[in-house]
Amino acid sequence: MFSWQTQPLTWMHFLGMLIGAVIVLFLVLFIVMYTIYFERKVIGWMQNRIGPNRVGPFGLLQSAADVFKLLLKEDIIPANADRPMFLIAPIIAFVPSFMVLAVIPYTATHIFTAGLNVGVLYYIALSSISIVGIVLGGWASNNKYSLVGGLRSAAQMISYEIPLGLSILGVIMLAGSLNLNTIVTHQATDRFGWYIIPQIIGFVVFVIAAIAELNRTPFDLPEAESELVAGYFTEYTGFRFAFYMLAEYVYVFAISALGTTLFLGGWEGPFLPSWLWFAIKTSAFIFFLFWVRATMPRIRIDQLMGFAWKVLIPVALFNILLTGALSLIL
Amino acid sequence: MAEDKQADKVASSETVEKAAPEKTAKAAPAKAAKAPAPPDPRVEQAKQQGEAIKVAIEQKLGAGTVEEVIASKEVPILRIASAKWREAITFLRDDPEQRFDYIELFAGTDYKDYIEVVLYLHAMSRGTYISVKTRTPREQAVLPSLAPVFPGVNWEEREVFDLLGVTFEGHPDLRRIMMWDGWNGHPLRKDYSEFENMPQRGGEPRG
Amino acid sequence: MSTSLRTEEMILNVGPQHPSTHGVFRLVVTLDGEQIIDADPVVGYLHRGTEKLAEGLQYTQIIPYTDRLDYLAAMLNNYALVHTVEYALDLEIPARAEYLRVIVMELNRIASHLLFLGTYLLDLGAMSPFLYVFQERERIVQLFNEICGARLTYNYMRVGGVKWDAPPGWIEKVRDFIPFMREKVKMYDKLISGNEIFLHRVRGIGVITKEDALQYSLSGINLRSTGIAFDLRKNRPYSLYNQFEFDVVTGKNGDCFDRYYLHLEEIRQSLRIVEQAVAQIPEGPVLGKVPKLIRVPAGEYYRSIEGARGELGVYIVSDGKDKPYRLKLRRPSFVNLQILRKLLIGQSMANLIAILGAVDIVLGEVDA
Repeated sequence: MFSWQTQPLTWMHFLGMLIGAVIVLFLVLFIVMYTIYFERKVIGWMQNRIGPNRVGPFGLLQSAADVFKLLLKEDIIPANADRPMFLIAPIIAFVPSFMVLAVIPYTATHIFTAGLNVGVLYYIALSSISIVGIVLGGWASNNKYSLVGGLRSAAQMISYEIPLGLSILGVIMLAGSLNLNTIVTHQATDRFGWYIIPQIIGFVVFVIAAIAELNRTPFDLPEAESELVAGYFTEYTGFRFAFYMLAEYVYVFAISALGTTLFLGGWEGPFLPSWLWFAIKTSAFIFFLFWVRATMPRIRIDQLMGFAWKVLIPVALFNILLTGALSLIL
Repeated sequence: MAEDKQADKVASSETVEKAAPEKTAKAAPAKAAKAPAPPDPRVEQAKQQGEAIKVAIEQKLGAGTVEEVIASKEVPILRIASAKWREAITFLRDDPEQRFDYIELFAGTDYKDYIEVVLYLHAMSRGTYISVKTRTPREQAVLPSLAPVFPGVNWEEREVFDLLGVTFEGHPDLRRIMMWDGWNGHPLRKDYSEFENMPQRGGEPRG
Repeated sequence: MSTSLRTEEMILNVGPQHPSTHGVFRLVVTLDGEQIIDADPVVGYLHRGTEKLAEGLQYTQIIPYTDRLDYLAAMLNNYALVHTVEYALDLEIPARAEYLRVIVMELNRIASHLLFLGTYLLDLGAMSPFLYVFQERERIVQLFNEICGARLTYNYMRVGGVKWDAPPGWIEKVRDFIPFMREKVKMYDKLISGNEIFLHRVRGIGVITKEDALQYSLSGINLRSTGIAFDLRKNRPYSLYNQFEFDVVTGKNGDCFDRYYLHLEEIRQSLRIVEQAVAQIPEGPVLGKVPKLIRVPAGEYYRSIEGARGELGVYIVSDGKDKPYRLKLRRPSFVNLQILRKLLIGQSMANLIAILGAVDIVLGEVDA
């Protein structure tokens, strides 16, 4: 049942997939809940605060309480909003965030992972759909701050998609595959070890572009609180707001998982079980994102775009050239 | 410049045990005005300074521009004819002898018979300061605006317009600033009554 | 970008409820794309008519009202008022009272500047400094709490001195605070002043020229950032400031970075003053001989002090009664804010918050 990737599709396998998908869904929801908790705690400690500590032991149920509160809230739709668009936008932003998780190899035995041969492309393609949801939400709210936030977000995410894709190319060239499972197994046997070593430039570009893709500090312009109030979701309340927040944190997890898979050897590692290795590496990645958030001020929009086009893309292209040249020579 | 003044002041305050800080402080801007405790010499000194400025202004803008020279403590106060208000202030700023290029205070007062607008001018290059004022009748309170010359009094004039009802001619943007547009009356006028001038609601006067 | 493309102007209402306007301040911005072509600041939402109220109050009764002007530096507001009354009365202040005043004023200036650092960085998207500065500010606030029983609206000074003497051990606590704060300032300097993103956002942004600064009657750090060394503590010394050694720090470029950095530098200078004051403070009474009912002799008096945000002045017209005939407050935030329109026009929308934040206003003072 667990080796369905290499077997022909039967009803049993389909059932296995279904159960696997549901398990992953709930697992991810659980992880996201505690990612939020983790973020609030970590940033709290970095800022000499305590962080959530009221709901449950050590505030462990804080995120659950927050979600519960959001679900109970009235779902307000502004009178002048574009109603159908306004309703559908959070879903468009939210659904792809879960779909990308299908290709992430969590463990050595691929119970929950689709062995897609174009896994990397699948991730990048699907995660771009979320931009539509964000722009749509900003547009449909009929609010100037939302509109500016949505448009900034579109500009930013499209710009940073390119260096993100280019930075991954180096990894693909080394592994010779777009399949994330294969990339992990390649890293285990590669003579340089994990791809973070031969692909250090690519890794740096990847991390920067990933933070920008996630709209997180220092690239959190679309939702810059001090400028745009809350950006594209200013007008959203209740569970629609929760959808946006959830999508954002699922992506935090997803991109950390992707980064782990591509550059940090995925589930690969000695002594500990593979899922634990994956969890440790992903947590470290997530922790880094939070760390940056607590440290950096926000970059300005024109500098942001300039940075993508003038710095990151040339560096990523150079990295591809370098990778190609080195793999020819060595 | 400020430092050496500073130095001798510190020296002098060491000799006087409980250095009355008030007095040394006052002497700071004009060294000449450093005078002992009785207030009269300070006022006299200030008046002399004021008279000198009056002569300079009247040379340029004609006799009668400065209506009165008084003094408050060490500060000379010149009352200027309202018709020459802007010219006089511009002269005080641009004249190489005067160079009062910085407005510290802009205030208006309702004196029941007339409304007075007061300026405290500071000369950055010399460190001296004077006060100039002008009067306008309460009814039909109109003064030439200084905002074209000193953009920094833009809001101050709006405030005086709002709270005292002085219209400044030539002001680029004379609107109420503290009260909203539908407000009735000018609160800082002495005959203003909160009860007669109930705020209007929804743009319509009450009663 | 392209001049041939006609774009529609958009009017954006920033405030009165906006996270970065630091209170109820409204800015009507006309945008052409991302460029600001007009900005109209609208104030008055917090207008309480302090000047009108003061006309019906005795001088001592006005003191708590001044607390509510610049609520981040209430000690300085207290002092501005009592100083003008004392000047009008030619009062002698007991030495200990003057020292206590200087200490609390400079501590309050530090607290106020710290909060500027925090909120300014928060405006620029960095959350942590905001929470860091509150720790040091908390220590100052605790010191104030011990000396006058209030954390924000102190009502500490009186005409002729101060209300309370320092409790036992208070001076030592202040003394201990100085090296602690010095370390912290060093830390902030290290953490913030070198941050590349921060520098990119504030260098060369919102430049004020010397001429503009004088024309717009700017004062305080806004004026000094342009390179004009005008600090009333030096140029027109009041209280005991002529006995202390400190520097008037000026900027070079008049941009937002200079304004940020001067706040940091002024904290250092204030610490120097506090250090000297704490070392020299004599024993003695803290309230001079003042008549029960303070009647200011008829006349008009204006005195100004170097407030946390600029020249803080009080203009009193007295008709010899126990209440002022007219009391005008020269509020530095109000005057400084006028230049905002000039600074914003032509800038991109993204710089709006950086420029507004650096002008450093407190709405309680703007609206009085």
